[in-house]
Amino acid sequence: MGPTSVQDLGRFDQYRFGVGTSGAMDDVALRAGNILLGNDENAAGIEIPMTPFKLRFGRDMTFALTGAEVEAEIGGRAIPPWWRSNARVDEVLSLKTMPRSARCYLTVSGGIDVPVVLGSRSTQFRGEFGGFHGRPLQPGDILRCASPTASASSGELGVEPADLVLARPDVPAGNTTVRVIIAGEYDAFDGAAQDLFWRSGWKITPQSNRYGYRLQGPAVKPISPIEKRSHGIVPGVIQIPPNGQPIIQMRDAQTSGGYPKIATVIKADMWRVAQARLGSTLRFEQTAYADALAAEDEVSVYLDRLRADVRLFAELQGCR
Amino acid sequence: MTTSDRPRISLLGTTALLFEAPGTFDLPHQQRIWTLATTAAKWSGIREAIPLITNLMLTFETPPRDPNFLISALNDAWDEAQELPIGGREIRLPVTYGGEIGSSLQAVADHCGMSIDDVVSIHAAPLYTVFALGSHPGYCYLGGMDPRISMPRRQTPLQRSAGGSVSIGGSQTGVSASPGPSGWHAIGHTTWTFFDPSWTTPAALAPGDIIRFEIERVIR
Amino acid sequence: MPIDMAYIERLAKLLETSGVTSIEIEDKEQSLKLVMETSEPSVTPPARVNAISCSDKSHVIAKADVAGHFRATHPWRTKPFAEPGQRIEAGAIVGLVKVGLLYAPVLSPAAGILDAITAETGAMVGYGTPIASIRPVAESRQI
Repeated sequence: MGPTSVQDLGRFDQYRFGVGTSGAMDDVALRAGNILLGNDENAAGIEIPMTPFKLRFGRDMTFALTGAEVEAEIGGRAIPPWWRSNARVDEVLSLKTMPRSARCYLTVSGGIDVPVVLGSRSTQFRGEFGGFHGRPLQPGDILRCASPTASASSGELGVEPADLVLARPDVPAGNTTVRVIIAGEYDAFDGAAQDLFWRSGWKITPQSNRYGYRLQGPAVKPISPIEKRSHGIVPGVIQIPPNGQPIIQMRDAQTSGGYPKIATVIKADMWRVAQARLGSTLRFEQTAYADALAAEDEVSVYLDRLRADVRLFAELQGCR
Repeated sequence: MTTSDRPRISLLGTTALLFEAPGTFDLPHQQRIWTLATTAAKWSGIREAIPLITNLMLTFETPPRDPNFLISALNDAWDEAQELPIGGREIRLPVTYGGEIGSSLQAVADHCGMSIDDVVSIHAAPLYTVFALGSHPGYCYLGGMDPRISMPRRQTPLQRSAGGSVSIGGSQTGVSASPGPSGWHAIGHTTWTFFDPSWTTPAALAPGDIIRFEIERVIR
Repeated sequence: MPIDMAYIERLAKLLETSGVTSIEIEDKEQSLKLVMETSEPSVTPPARVNAISCSDKSHVIAKADVAGHFRATHPWRTKPFAEPGQRIEAGAIVGLVKVGLLYAPVLSPAAGILDAITAETGAMVGYGTPIASIRPVAESRQI
């Protein structure tokens, strides 16, 4: 599902140079980890899409693990999911398996200290810049961490995972359903093709990665072949190439394309796509713009509450 | 392709808006898009105005609660948009046509019913205008290609095409700055550097610049 | 080391003769309190040994240190953090107290065998509420 890399929330104002966002695929998990640590929410962390993964701490530090459930251990003790913990110098954090979901995030107090390039610490693989020397992390790499901020919190603490707080009650469990807003070429597909798009379970093929998720299912074809002029696209855009197999553009996608677009995954559900595993099934649900904004507000509320609770808890601990 | 007289405006989720101008793919239309981009970039709530090929994507700083105001402002601004004559530099780009990187040269020749040499001379003849930057860091979309060497994009995009490759997609041509996936047909390559994040402006070229391809070599 | 009965008798006699009404002795592992029945300031009824609190080193109690709702498992899991009979290390998580969106861990004060989780999942607990009972045994590893 892609490389382990340094990512922050992304690079958003460089599209006019052909530079896409990069950044954490599950931005909610990265933000939650940073909030737990008292970091700036945009502090860089490590996106880990595969296990096993091992990391040695070069000094005492507080870290957090969020995102996918992962069997994690440090200093002989197990780390629960969505958890903040203290590491001692030379202790080894070992991530053994990731039984469900697709990627987890390791954040550290102060954040990973790599240079800011074009406004972000995210790794831009295609351009080979940003993050850790513009490339995936490899065994032997040494990452510097910035000093903890004044608001840093430490000590063992867990947080309610996003998928529980943001669970959608009317959506059947086991499937990942994502809300989408129809895009410019939706009407170029007839009713039968549109139905296929809505009603099918789309399998995430092994060719899926940070550039795009290539889906497999029935061929969804427009009424007549469409060749569009190259136009800007953003992560979440679902393109239909001539073979009728949808591609969801993800964080390392190109900033422009010419394939017809049937719909765009809403920003508030991109983390759900990010956590869907290879071989699993996705379904699409049509959503209006206003409802998409409401969904973004719901995510903001979760993170706002988390921020407030962490501060309150730190004050409580400070009083003792 | 837009066939009506009015622009097509559509949403890209809640992150961006796409404005597609009616009319042909030519420099005057593109100059009006550049004007529209300059105007819209100053509106509150707009993060970037990104011109592509006779179209404009506006990314949002914060998504508007009601996009209809933005849509009507865009329509009004388009009606008033004059052709912006951006002055640009003229750059000569030496190209090796064909070979390992330009591996689709024969396919394009076959598709268009002409020889490799014809494709090369038709491709290298015009002065191209940089219409837009997009796709990947530093990539330039060029206007002015002769439609005789058009070839539709691939059925399935190739997972990896080389950096510096010169390619054709539909009726457009472009030059890539780095390797990566592509649905276009690579017909040659250049060794020039198009992008460096340490430069003050990271991209070497800008909309309005003019490129002349020089045939350095043809590998059959 | 358990306090022997002969020692307690000597203490009781001291109480009688000194006129002090109670003695309380406490160390890390145990405590003992002797209270003189004061109905009559006389010699006749000997002091009664009335052990009011007597904990010995056979159990330590893990307590909540924050107010919230207790749970014995992580919300993503069905298996509890620790089960009766399980050997746990000092500092091991024996449960969680949910405070708003946060989960504060309840940690075992000693290495040993978990005897029981005494708090119920869902129950409201407060600072000092006993959560689990652990029978300490020596640390299983070198530190």
